[in-house]
Amino acid sequence: MKRLLALTAALCLGVVAACGSGGSGGSDADSGSVTMWIYPVVPDQAKHQAFWDQRIADFKKANPNIDVKVEIFPWPQRDQKLQTAIAAGKGPDVVYLIPDQLPKYAKNIEPVDSYLSDQDKADYLDNAKAAVTYEGKMLGAPILTSTRPLVCDRKAFQAIGETSYPKTWDDLLALAPRFKAKGIDATNYFASPDATLNESFYPLLWQAGGDVFSADGKSVAFDGEAGVKALEFLKKLVDGGYVEKDLLSSIPNIEQTHIAQHKVACTWQQAPADVEAFWGKENVVVLPPLTETKSVGYGTVGSLSILSGAKSKAAAGKWVAFAGQPNVAKEYDLAANLFSPRKSTGQLYPNDPVQSAMEKTVTLTTVGSLNAKSRDVMAVLAPEIQAALLGKKSSQDALSSAAEQAKGLLGQ
Amino acid sequence: MTATIERGAPAGPTGPPARPRARRSPLQRREARFGLLFALPCFLLFLAFRFGPGLAGVALAFFHYEVGDTPRFTGLANLSRLLNDDLFWKALRVTVVYSVIAVPLSLVCSLAMALLVRKKFRTVTFFRSVFFLPVVTSLVLAATVFTWIFSSDGPWTRITGPVLGWLGGYDGSWLASSVWVLPAMALVSVWSRFGYGMLIILARLQDLPAELEEAALTDGASSWQRFRYIVLPQLKPALFFLAVIETTGSFQVFDLVYVMTGGGPAHGSYTLVFQLVDQGFKFFDLGYASAIGLALFVMTIVVAVIQRLTLGRES
Repeated sequence: MKRLLALTAALCLGVVAACGSGGSGGSDADSGSVTMWIYPVVPDQAKHQAFWDQRIADFKKANPNIDVKVEIFPWPQRDQKLQTAIAAGKGPDVVYLIPDQLPKYAKNIEPVDSYLSDQDKADYLDNAKAAVTYEGKMLGAPILTSTRPLVCDRKAFQAIGETSYPKTWDDLLALAPRFKAKGIDATNYFASPDATLNESFYPLLWQAGGDVFSADGKSVAFDGEAGVKALEFLKKLVDGGYVEKDLLSSIPNIEQTHIAQHKVACTWQQAPADVEAFWGKENVVVLPPLTETKSVGYGTVGSLSILSGAKSKAAAGKWVAFAGQPNVAKEYDLAANLFSPRKSTGQLYPNDPVQSAMEKTVTLTTVGSLNAKSRDVMAVLAPEIQAALLGKKSSQDALSSAAEQAKGLLGQ
Repeated sequence: MTATIERGAPAGPTGPPARPRARRSPLQRREARFGLLFALPCFLLFLAFRFGPGLAGVALAFFHYEVGDTPRFTGLANLSRLLNDDLFWKALRVTVVYSVIAVPLSLVCSLAMALLVRKKFRTVTFFRSVFFLPVVTSLVLAATVFTWIFSSDGPWTRITGPVLGWLGGYDGSWLASSVWVLPAMALVSVWSRFGYGMLIILARLQDLPAELEEAALTDGASSWQRFRYIVLPQLKPALFFLAVIETTGSFQVFDLVYVMTGGGPAHGSYTLVFQLVDQGFKFFDLGYASAIGLALFVMTIVVAVIQRLTLGRES
């Protein structure tokens, strides 16, 4: 009996000790361990890993009791893997997310506001900060931005003897017949439901002065005047034969499209890096996004978010604040060939004509309004846009039908 | 000597006479016990990883479960939502139409090819291999190539375009047409699957007793009559098996749709499994995705039972 009592007491002590150590680790900002999941933002895996190894070593000097582990996962199926890991309680402490993902994971995210200094927060570009702010809280610390401006092929313009590039929708429509006469598409448009509307339709919607959701996020707004205008503009391009028709139904590899054959004049769906190999860097002309009522394009923001299941939120917060510092972010953006979300970093590419032109358009980008149902709404809107472009519905009917379906998704 | 059969005579027992069951020795029984013991881990893993997720999926269909949320029991809410979801009915119609085109076409092609390579000629082995080749080719790869073949610049469009333009419902590319997109995908599916069916039917054909056909030949039956009244009835078990396998496969079509059209145009190729994947892994609504899975499972079982009652009753 005595033995049994002693054993029970020892077990209880063990349990208390275990709980105690876990508790202290969870509450103490100066100790703990942090696991971060990131993806191949820097395509060279060795270079990418070396970057984070060096940053971990720097961080460790100031925080000797916090262990950081950075794991680089492939892009494909990242949502599924993260989702499964969170559901199983095996998620990371910190993860790289883009604005599209943030509202969906909002329930699992610890806002970073309290972990960043006011000075830090004030240093972010307004659009970068807005891109990670959901329901008034910053769900991630931005470390990079990207931009999708208008990219034109100098050779295509030479083929029609044109020296000025389009600034507005009307400019592009006016040039389109001349390009067609030379066997060149005015632009390309992916209408397959698999293509993200962020890079295809939404920029036009924003340029026409519209938005996907209403200001309160409780209803959709794409079926208004701006939406119809944007879809009509696309229909003119399709009906005139100014875009590659196969892209309306499928997403072939870029090598199999007109882009790769010098047969597309301008695009807002590909970045210079996507077309350089086919056009040659000397033929890539970067311009601000097209204008209807305003010039605006899509640009994403990569941010580091702390998951609410983090073992030590304080330690994770310290690491996120460190990894998002201007000097760290600047080095990372240069390694990834992307752009800084910070004001204080200044120009990153003063000597690169293409990258510096891209950099100038960063402030003209948006991710639109964040909404937990953004992907669901995209899934009902994309097929309707496709139907309109294939001539099966009028623009207004297609958008109204999508808006009707979206009502159910938004619980209206 | 040629065997003959009396028309209309009842078929006698064909198998060997039943033998009294031999009593197994203690050693054999011990060996059997050890055999089962060694197979047990594998069997348990099979139960856990095959049936476990299946049962979890069925249970999840009665919960509201989004990632990060605690699962909340909602009873029949997901199934009720399913019944009122226009997209579900659209996806169901697409899946059924696709199956109605793909399954019979696949059976006919398999049967035709099996009859062709049943004959003995010099290069028959080569042809059997060639016809089977698509089965071992990656469907994603094949779908990518066929996407180009069906594109407006592709050879298929150049050949069939003028005829289909005259028929209507066609506007320059099979994959951009909501009328022709399903036949296009069914053709790719048949191309990739008929070799498997051919192999199954060929195996059955080679098992058939030659005497029956020889007897019919003696009685003056034509090729068609021999096929219709002698070969085809004996192929019923193989055809039933293939019909069930092909229907199940068609109901679960996903990769073709994913690669070739993404569910378009305008949901023209949006199948049930595509909707399931969208709900589960794009919108993270695992409860609703499970309800779609459950509905798909029930429908597959119902179709298999109907096939059993019609095609497979006598086999």
